[in-house]
Amino acid sequence: MKRIAVFGYNRLSMESISRLNPELYQVVVVGQNRLQNTQAKQDGLETADIDFHSDEDLRSLGIGDGKIQTILCFFEQDSENVFLTLSARGLDKALTIIAAVDNPESAEKLLAAGANKIIDPYKICGRKIHDMLKRPDITDIFDHTVFGRHDLHLAEIVIPAHSFILDSQVNHLDVTARYNLILIGVVNKQISDEIHFAAVEHNRRLSAGDILVILGPSREIKAFKEYVEHET
Amino acid sequence: MFSKFVIYHAYLLKSSPRFKRIKRGVYNALENPRSQVKSYVDMLMIGLIVISIFFLLYDVEHETGVMGGYFEQGVITCFACEYLLRVWVSSDTHLLLIEEYEKASYLNIEFSLFRALKKAWIKKFEYILSPMAIIDLLAILPSYRPLRILRIFLIFRLFKLFRYSNSARLYSDILASKRFELLTLLLFSCLLVFIASVSVFIFEFPEINSHIKNLFDAFYWSIVTMATVGYGDITPQTHGGKIVAILLILTSIGVLSFFTSILISAFNEKIPLLRENQVYAETENYKNFIIICGFGRVGQEIAKRLHRDKQKFIIIDKNEQHVEIARQRNFLVIHNDASKNQILLSAGINRGATTVLCTTGDDVTNVYVTLTSRHLNKNIRIISRANQQENVAKLYQAGADQVIKPFEVAGLLTAEFLGQPVAFEAISGILQNHAEVVMDTLRVNQGSELDDKQIIRLELAKYKLTLLGVISANPIHLQHRNKYLVNQQHFYFNPDRHFVLHHGDILLVLGRKFSIDHFRDLIERRRLMHRKNL
Repeated sequence: MKRIAVFGYNRLSMESISRLNPELYQVVVVGQNRLQNTQAKQDGLETADIDFHSDEDLRSLGIGDGKIQTILCFFEQDSENVFLTLSARGLDKALTIIAAVDNPESAEKLLAAGANKIIDPYKICGRKIHDMLKRPDITDIFDHTVFGRHDLHLAEIVIPAHSFILDSQVNHLDVTARYNLILIGVVNKQISDEIHFAAVEHNRRLSAGDILVILGPSREIKAFKEYVEHET
Repeated sequence: MFSKFVIYHAYLLKSSPRFKRIKRGVYNALENPRSQVKSYVDMLMIGLIVISIFFLLYDVEHETGVMGGYFEQGVITCFACEYLLRVWVSSDTHLLLIEEYEKASYLNIEFSLFRALKKAWIKKFEYILSPMAIIDLLAILPSYRPLRILRIFLIFRLFKLFRYSNSARLYSDILASKRFELLTLLLFSCLLVFIASVSVFIFEFPEINSHIKNLFDAFYWSIVTMATVGYGDITPQTHGGKIVAILLILTSIGVLSFFTSILISAFNEKIPLLRENQVYAETENYKNFIIICGFGRVGQEIAKRLHRDKQKFIIIDKNEQHVEIARQRNFLVIHNDASKNQILLSAGINRGATTVLCTTGDDVTNVYVTLTSRHLNKNIRIISRANQQENVAKLYQAGADQVIKPFEVAGLLTAEFLGQPVAFEAISGILQNHAEVVMDTLRVNQGSELDDKQIIRLELAKYKLTLLGVISANPIHLQHRNKYLVNQQHFYFNPDRHFVLHHGDILLVLGRKFSIDHFRDLIERRRLMHRKNL
């Protein structure tokens, strides 16, 4: 189970937490003040009463020793998020840091401070409305299925070093017919962030560490995952 | 008897659709500021005026040729017709007569044609005495031979240009809006000139070397000095005169700066209005544009993207800072309250706009603007932003077609990213058109090659395309698995190879942009060729 620390308890934090599967993630909320902590407690969440300015307190929460794998910096002030990102990155190089941004100019600063992902709610909302105007069909489908409550999910499956599908061609997997899944593409994080689309590079050979990006119902994803991780 | 005859004809005119049409046409050509015809007529008249002034100047130096004479007569005929038509459309005499007649018969008193006609004529005279009508008349009269003496009034034709130019009209409006201040200043200036002329006359006139020979010289000197022109042809010779000059100069600096400041402040007050009118005028020719109410962070993001798509839009915001940002980016913006009916109407909610976006950070405003827009236009698409969950229902109730919650969307993305960062980045790259591969839709048209065809026979792999699914409302497909209900139609994810397509279905495909376009063109071309063969 992954442990996530959420800093700041506001609308964005609440929405994010409500979307997380409680079976997979354990959330601890660090409110900006006592009021936020009390509210989080009332909502049935675990809280930690610490001062984020102090590295000692952050360490006591579990940042730096691997207990916490991800933090969400969702404070209202960009400066506070930058400070927190800097402190946390200093404590743990492998930590996944997701930070919210209010002023778009702060995005670069947060990335420079070591954040992995920037969430700009206004930008996302603007983009969303634009999509609704320009590509209503596609937006609707994705909102209702992948991002909605229907059983159609996006998944990533890492090919282990011992997998028997190593070195086979992408199109030979034939996930479309055998598993009722669609293989979007392959990414190898160790080489680059670039995605190799299955539609374009259908004869690409798979290697260990490749991540298969697939789309489909959860049952099929599970079955395919077992197949991929099957040893030779 | 005669009055009955007149009234009969008045009723005849009132019931004649042809008469109405003609009068309406003339009104559109001459007076209706929104009419396209008027702008052509205006341009024609401006051309005529400029050419006639050119002939006038030529005439001063040379003998006019025969052509010049004919042209002049032609111009005068045009102006005269225009003048008479303007007088004609200024009011409806026949309606006034009928009104008077009906009033009289209702009250059971005798109808006096003379009194009714007098009323109608007063109405016409009101127009004839308006400044613009007088200028029109003065531009025609001097051409009448016995009135040749009035030739100088031909220059009034230049004033006629005011009629056809909005900016000139704006200038006169600005002067009119500061009438009180300007009058006060004028009164003060007159007093100053009077005092200065009289005093300088008293001091200077008795002197032997004096330049001032009479009171007019004194008046002329005061005006020249006060305007800070100071030709120097007349200069005071006495000490007294010089002191008057010093005092006049000092005071006139104040008068001039006061005058300038009045004009500047009046312009400043009018400039927002001028800008707004310009924006409205621009949208008048637009078709299929979007009204964005609220230019905060969300509005700015949408505008940026729409601008990139070359989609036309107009922004309404009452926040000064937001408006300033929009102006800097050269977007069309109205600095006003979007919840006012008049503003939305002028922005074109009933004329060319397809969608209204309510994107302010305040839910109360969004609900209000949504309600106003829906009230003004029943069919327009409204997308609204809800900052609080509890206001979503209110927005739908107010008439929004779609409601979007920024924090929910952001929260959702955060959760998706946490779950599978790689897959998420890949899909958002595709959805935002950042990746080399894009997602697009292909519609199956009637008679197209795709119609009634099995998916396996499309050979999508040959074109390097991946089929994600089929969107269809056709009940014939319901037997297939993997269907997801989306807005009254089904999305068939990963349909099997034997899925038969029908017209109206939409294919959702993934591939390089040019390969999707190529495939689409190919299908369309074959469809058209097929038709030709038929």
